[in-house]
Amino acid sequence: MRKKKFQLNEKQLGYLMVMPALILIAAITLWPVAQSFWNSMFDYRLNDPTRNQTTLSYQIDMETYANNYFYIDRDLEALENDAEGTDLQLVVSELREDIDSFHTEIIENPDLQEQYEIVDEMVMNFEPVNDRDLRYGDLDSDFAQDYSGTLQSAQDTFTETLAEVDDEGLESSLTQASSALSSVDRSIIKPNFIGLKNYGKYFSDARMWSAMGNTVFFTVVSVFFELTIGLAVALVINRAFIGRGAVRAAVLIPWAIPTAVSAMMWSYLYDGQSGVIAHYFSQIGLISDASTLLSTGSGAMFSIILADVWKTMPYMALLLLAGLQTIPDALYEAAEVDGANKWQRFMNITLPMLKSAILVALLFRTLDAFRVFDLIYVLTGGGPANSTESISVYAYQVLFAQSNFGEGSVLSVIVFLSVALISILFIKLIGSDLFESKTGK
Amino acid sequence: MRKRAGAPFYIFLSLFIFVIMFPFLWVFLTSIKPPIEIFAGFNWFTTNPSLNSYVSAINTRPLFLYIWNSIAVSTLTTVIAISVASLAAYSVTRLPIKFKGTILGIVLAAAMFPQIAIISPIFNLIQNLGLRNSYMGLVIPYITISLPLAIWILATFFKKIPFELEESAKLDGASPFQTFTKIIFPLAAPGVFTTGILVFIAAWNEYLFALTINSDDSWRTVPVGLSMYQSQYTLPWGDITAATVLVTIPIVVVVLIFQRRIVAGLTSGAVKE
Repeated sequence: MRKKKFQLNEKQLGYLMVMPALILIAAITLWPVAQSFWNSMFDYRLNDPTRNQTTLSYQIDMETYANNYFYIDRDLEALENDAEGTDLQLVVSELREDIDSFHTEIIENPDLQEQYEIVDEMVMNFEPVNDRDLRYGDLDSDFAQDYSGTLQSAQDTFTETLAEVDDEGLESSLTQASSALSSVDRSIIKPNFIGLKNYGKYFSDARMWSAMGNTVFFTVVSVFFELTIGLAVALVINRAFIGRGAVRAAVLIPWAIPTAVSAMMWSYLYDGQSGVIAHYFSQIGLISDASTLLSTGSGAMFSIILADVWKTMPYMALLLLAGLQTIPDALYEAAEVDGANKWQRFMNITLPMLKSAILVALLFRTLDAFRVFDLIYVLTGGGPANSTESISVYAYQVLFAQSNFGEGSVLSVIVFLSVALISILFIKLIGSDLFESKTGK
Repeated sequence: MRKRAGAPFYIFLSLFIFVIMFPFLWVFLTSIKPPIEIFAGFNWFTTNPSLNSYVSAINTRPLFLYIWNSIAVSTLTTVIAISVASLAAYSVTRLPIKFKGTILGIVLAAAMFPQIAIISPIFNLIQNLGLRNSYMGLVIPYITISLPLAIWILATFFKKIPFELEESAKLDGASPFQTFTKIIFPLAAPGVFTTGILVFIAAWNEYLFALTINSDDSWRTVPVGLSMYQSQYTLPWGDITAATVLVTIPIVVVVLIFQRRIVAGLTSGAVKE
């Protein structure tokens, strides 16, 4: 007798099979979006070593601290000697005691003690501290604020005193002590959590609004032309004819080539000197000069839209043609018998029957157009003078050209929220049958 | 009762195809002009065709390396995405699990995610894994694009297979997993293949991740590599057009061979049958 093998039932197998896909989607799509939200609330810059991580607590830069603490006591002592017999001497000696007690608290802190000793040793030997974990340590936020506040108020006092004295020796030791204080203060790093401040910045940022305007304009105009021309083409070629294969291939090739490659092609065709389209357009009087297309804002926007319509309209026509072919001929025959004319047949049969195909195509195209990046980045780079910059291009520039992950994430979040809003609106229009047709009901 | 095609129709059709193909045609005609003619006017045909631009395009940048990188990244992405997606699509369409609508909703939402919204955390992730300038560094983010697409299209194909097949397999004593590997998957093979082509093309065309993650020239893919031909000071149109022709040929071949399948795949998600 055979032993019964361990078997999953259908339901368990089903969950098991769907799990890898859901885990992957969660890990590399949902989680990063959540992180973008999180990052957008920080002053987070990759190119600034004190702000290249998101931190909620105060930190100390041990290397800077150990390096400067070595000088601060020497400079303060010199100042105290120079100021002998004045009020300042009292202030300075009190300050020295304060700083000393703060310092003791740091080096006696069990979390920091060992770290400080290692870093101090390295600083003495002029070795750079490259290990992040060794270089930075967490500080209690009350302590950090006290320490930093003491250092800052002492600096203020010194600056005031500096305006009153005219002894050169005292002046120079005041300046030196003051700069030692500020160096130590710099080693105390404030948390870079700034809440919604980045958002506030962008709400009053003219460049953001113009990028948003460009994106909406591009989306509405190019999707409108793609849909109307695509529908017209689909209606015309919805019949039996010789050469369907050629048409299909002609329609698919623009869709299949990378957008960046087609953007390069169009940048050649639009070029002010060697571009054939620019040349013909100016010859037939469509534009005043061949260079207008890429060197003026409206010309560049027109060029981008034309290139996008060229690439996507055929694809739209293909989707709508497939929709048209599912409409039974009998409907048209019956309508003809009843005496409906061509227009009535289009309005009362074609459009209603095509509605869901149109809405689905519109949804995907609108979302695609709204996040446009490659076409604009390669064709115009957002220029001239940011007049064709889309919100995605702007976000890319802030994120990677300026290495500002905090502010750039705000723009990412704005794109995300806009796309979510558009999807919700469309799905409300389309209804839930988008899913039901697939779940096997 | 389709309308029959007359002469005006064929004129329209030729015009339509001409307009669509014109950019390719012109780029090809430029690529075989001798460099001096490219900047000297707008003659359609050169009397003196030359391959100089092609030689120069290959020599100034590692074009074949770009193509090889694109093939490697797109193939890896396609294999991973199809394996994971076919399991998920099978489960959602044919097994009695709950939350099917929710799962498909998440998949569709993921397909709509703007890449710019996830690029900075993904960049950090790839950086921390030490995968910048590698194939896996692009394959991982490409899963975000290809997996939802693959699940969505595969679900349509799996749904079309008659349910009676599974019932008879069950009666014959096949386990659910055997039913999937021995019966459904082979039957859905054409649909899986079609989905594979679409995923491959989507990965081949991706630009934003390729631009930011693989910044080293020897790891660039075709779209990014090609856009690097333009420099700030010169616009070598001869090189650019020749390189464009070279990278477009593989796509044209794929489209010509598989056009019926591609159309079937593209329209499957959009049209209810």
